[in-house]
Amino acid sequence: MNQALSPSTVLLVVAAFVVAALPHLTAMPGWLALAIVAAAVWRALVALLDLPRPGWLVRSALTFGGLALVIMHYGTLWGRRAATVLLCVMVAAKLSEMFRLRDARVVATLGYFLIATQFLFSQQLLLFGYLLIGCALVTAALVRIQRDADKISPPADDGAPGGIRVARLARDGTLLMLMAIPFALVMFTLFPRLGSPLWGMPENALDGRTGLSDEMSPGTIADLFVDDSPAFRAEFDGLVPPREQLYWRGPVLWRFDGRTWSRLFYSNRAPERTPRPDRNAFAYSVQMEPSERRWLFALDYPVGAPADARLSADFELIRKRPVTTLISYDVISQPDFRDAPELQQTLRRIALHLPEGSNPRTRQRAEALRRRYPEDEALIDAVLEWFNQEEFFYSLETAPLGRHGADEFLFDLRVGYCEYYASAFVVLMRAAGIPARIVTGYQGGLWQPSDGYLLVRQSDAHAWAEVWLEGRGWTRVDPTAAVSPSRIEEGARSALSDSAGWFGTEWLYQLRNQYDRLQNLWNKSILGFDAQRQRDFLARIGLDGLSIGARAAVLVALAAIVLVPLVLLTQGLARWVRNTDRLDRAWQRVRRRLQRAGMRPGRGETPLELAARSTDSLANADELITLAEKYSALKYGPVGSLGEIARFDAESAGWRPYRLNPRRSKQSQ
Amino acid sequence: MNDSADRAGDHRPGPLQRLEQAIAAVNGVILGKSRQIELAFSALLAGGHLLIEDLPGVGKTTLAHAIAIVTGGQWQRIQFTNDLLPADILGVSVWRREAESFEFRPGPIFANVVLADEVNRATPRTQSALLEAMAEQQVSMDAHTHGLPRPFFVIATQNPLDLVGTYPLPDSQLDRFLLRISLGYPAREQERALLVEADRRTLLAGLQPVLSPADVLELSAAAATLHVSEPVLDYIQALVEATRTHAALRAGLSPRAALAMLATARARALLEGRDYVLPDDVKQTFAPLAAHRLQCNPNSGESEHVVEQILDETRVP
Repeated sequence: MNQALSPSTVLLVVAAFVVAALPHLTAMPGWLALAIVAAAVWRALVALLDLPRPGWLVRSALTFGGLALVIMHYGTLWGRRAATVLLCVMVAAKLSEMFRLRDARVVATLGYFLIATQFLFSQQLLLFGYLLIGCALVTAALVRIQRDADKISPPADDGAPGGIRVARLARDGTLLMLMAIPFALVMFTLFPRLGSPLWGMPENALDGRTGLSDEMSPGTIADLFVDDSPAFRAEFDGLVPPREQLYWRGPVLWRFDGRTWSRLFYSNRAPERTPRPDRNAFAYSVQMEPSERRWLFALDYPVGAPADARLSADFELIRKRPVTTLISYDVISQPDFRDAPELQQTLRRIALHLPEGSNPRTRQRAEALRRRYPEDEALIDAVLEWFNQEEFFYSLETAPLGRHGADEFLFDLRVGYCEYYASAFVVLMRAAGIPARIVTGYQGGLWQPSDGYLLVRQSDAHAWAEVWLEGRGWTRVDPTAAVSPSRIEEGARSALSDSAGWFGTEWLYQLRNQYDRLQNLWNKSILGFDAQRQRDFLARIGLDGLSIGARAAVLVALAAIVLVPLVLLTQGLARWVRNTDRLDRAWQRVRRRLQRAGMRPGRGETPLELAARSTDSLANADELITLAEKYSALKYGPVGSLGEIARFDAESAGWRPYRLNPRRSKQSQ
Repeated sequence: MNDSADRAGDHRPGPLQRLEQAIAAVNGVILGKSRQIELAFSALLAGGHLLIEDLPGVGKTTLAHAIAIVTGGQWQRIQFTNDLLPADILGVSVWRREAESFEFRPGPIFANVVLADEVNRATPRTQSALLEAMAEQQVSMDAHTHGLPRPFFVIATQNPLDLVGTYPLPDSQLDRFLLRISLGYPAREQERALLVEADRRTLLAGLQPVLSPADVLELSAAAATLHVSEPVLDYIQALVEATRTHAALRAGLSPRAALAMLATARARALLEGRDYVLPDDVKQTFAPLAAHRLQCNPNSGESEHVVEQILDETRVP
């Protein structure tokens, strides 16, 4: 138990920890991440420079200090983020007492756990790739620890960093992982899936990166514009709606306090009537990325709610639980539906409410318009015409608005994006006596023709207005479309192309679209393999209808079939084969070097004969003779120990032939 | 490997040291022929017999003589001539009138080491008698079998076949000899030493038995248990297969020859003080072991050359 770790093993374990923890480190406060990295670097230096080991006082200070810091920052130890950060901190503290093989094994094994916990936060394909590398590194570290335990580290490895060979690491790591693939496949297909994830409700949002919220204050949507990550993907069963109809409905906002728009609690009731699908309806399925929100998005107007969700009176889809993992739902939308031809008095009052004394110029303008256009439709057209004809610009680079937001925007600034336009438009409508509300959601999306799905990114977030017209009910009006038609027709990227570069170059943008196709495939085939798909699969291979116990038995049996030969192989044969291979490879290396030095090892020449012959041409033939004797003894003698083979490997690796007066011997030829 | 060397040393200190002394003693008489002497002792420890073939006067008989002396036990010398009869080798049954029965009088072959000088001068019938006894390790006569002593080691010498008045040993019987060696002319310095130093006969007379029959048996038994690894067995098989497929050869080596290769390689490993067999042991003993067992097709050169070629071309595993 008291075996020492070689410095290179410590380096490897520390590196494996850092790689495994890196995604967590990027998500925790910078100072904490820095402290953890510092602990890792310090431990590596202790190993490299043979610094004194920390005493128990330092170690317990690290442990309890780390615990205190996590509690101070997160206020709790519960929840995914706080718990995983605590895990990182504690493993970092464990590094300070990692001086025995057992401790190194604990740290390395926790590396697997750190990697697994990443999937609580994201199941992205790229991250998966990164974590595979992390897994390989942790595995290689464990192999290395075992080598230390067997005391077969070659002497050359005692000198630390030079002792880590990338090729060997890669081989150790990947070989074992490849062997695990059959077992992983069995577990993946047969292990019982839960209807919902184990970790249920989240207590904290996705580290600030979220989808649409149920409020809109200045800047909320602008934040989303810079987020190029996918919000959801939609696949249509039949017709794909034209671009100008791709309004993905999210939270509907009624209340306005002069600055922030928010939802109405009353909207949570069920709709009075729901659309009836006809042949114009669109049927589609949506794969939604985790948003930590309860909103699901659908085109106007969803006919019904998918399982786990319900339809609100404003035709929002609200899920019972927040979307914390990739989910998939099917919706049917009926575009030609008229929402609420009758408007209750209470709701009408709310839809006309404006804070007292705000936006005097807008009110003035509204009254003037009202006098000129008694008809609601004519008034709306006039406003849109005004937006379109006057000097209004669509841009993200705009100024924040003050107390009279609509006034400042409509009469002074005149530069803004959808949020500004929708907000100012609804204020103007309400001032003119037309009930109006704001709808937030996503607009448009990128059509991926080869895979047949529509990719909607966070940057497609949008806000538009709905006005209530006598006889027609709630009607969508998008003031942004009047100002910048290209925003609607081609997407946010095109509308903003002159002013902004956050999407990077065209090339990068294409690359990201290609990557998203892979991600979509990954989502559908791997992440989408849920309880239902598993049942279908089992039915196809005739394993449905089995009791849980029988399924468990099948699982165990298959796992055994896959694992037992593997274990036998690794335990006995592979170990022997690998080490004789290693011996032969070492000798082949010597032969290659001799070949390069001009000696031609003969086909039928034994190692000893070769070495004896070299006395004529090599200055260090005596060393070669010693090597040949050792090789012969290991190769042909009674089975040598692994340590001897490793020593021979190291010794022969360092040997180079030195020619005896090469010039003279050439002349004599 | 230090461990195993120590172990070997602890295990049999006496016989191995005496073996070394015996070899050194023979080397003191026959100068510059350590390789041949090593092969001769390999044949002894492998339980086979030795054929020395060379021109007259290069020291065949002296070598055989020296080995016979240092090996200890009883030794006999039979000078083969064309009027030698089987009974002169094996012995005769004589009528004992007092006992009214035949009594077997053992011939010179009943010895631990038998020196058959110029074996190709005798008639095939006499040669056969010797070769049968070598193969059977016993003599059958008048419905009685008489076992030969152990160890039983025949060293035969032979003049090359193109000399007048000889009966060449039949090909099929040549493989009764485990190894066939030749001595060749001595090197310059050794020849000078030969001229300057005392007469070989005086030196031979001064030789003392170093080993005992029991030693030889013990060493043979030890050799037979030496470790042989898979690659070495592969190498033996590869060589045997090469003789069977070689275009110049009429027939390849037999399984008995393969067994002989293994035994000889083990004996040589023991002589070298190792407790495992190297491919070198197989390779160094292959030519003396195989050349006289192989016959070339007409106009295909000599079997010695073919054997060298096979050794060069067969990869050492």
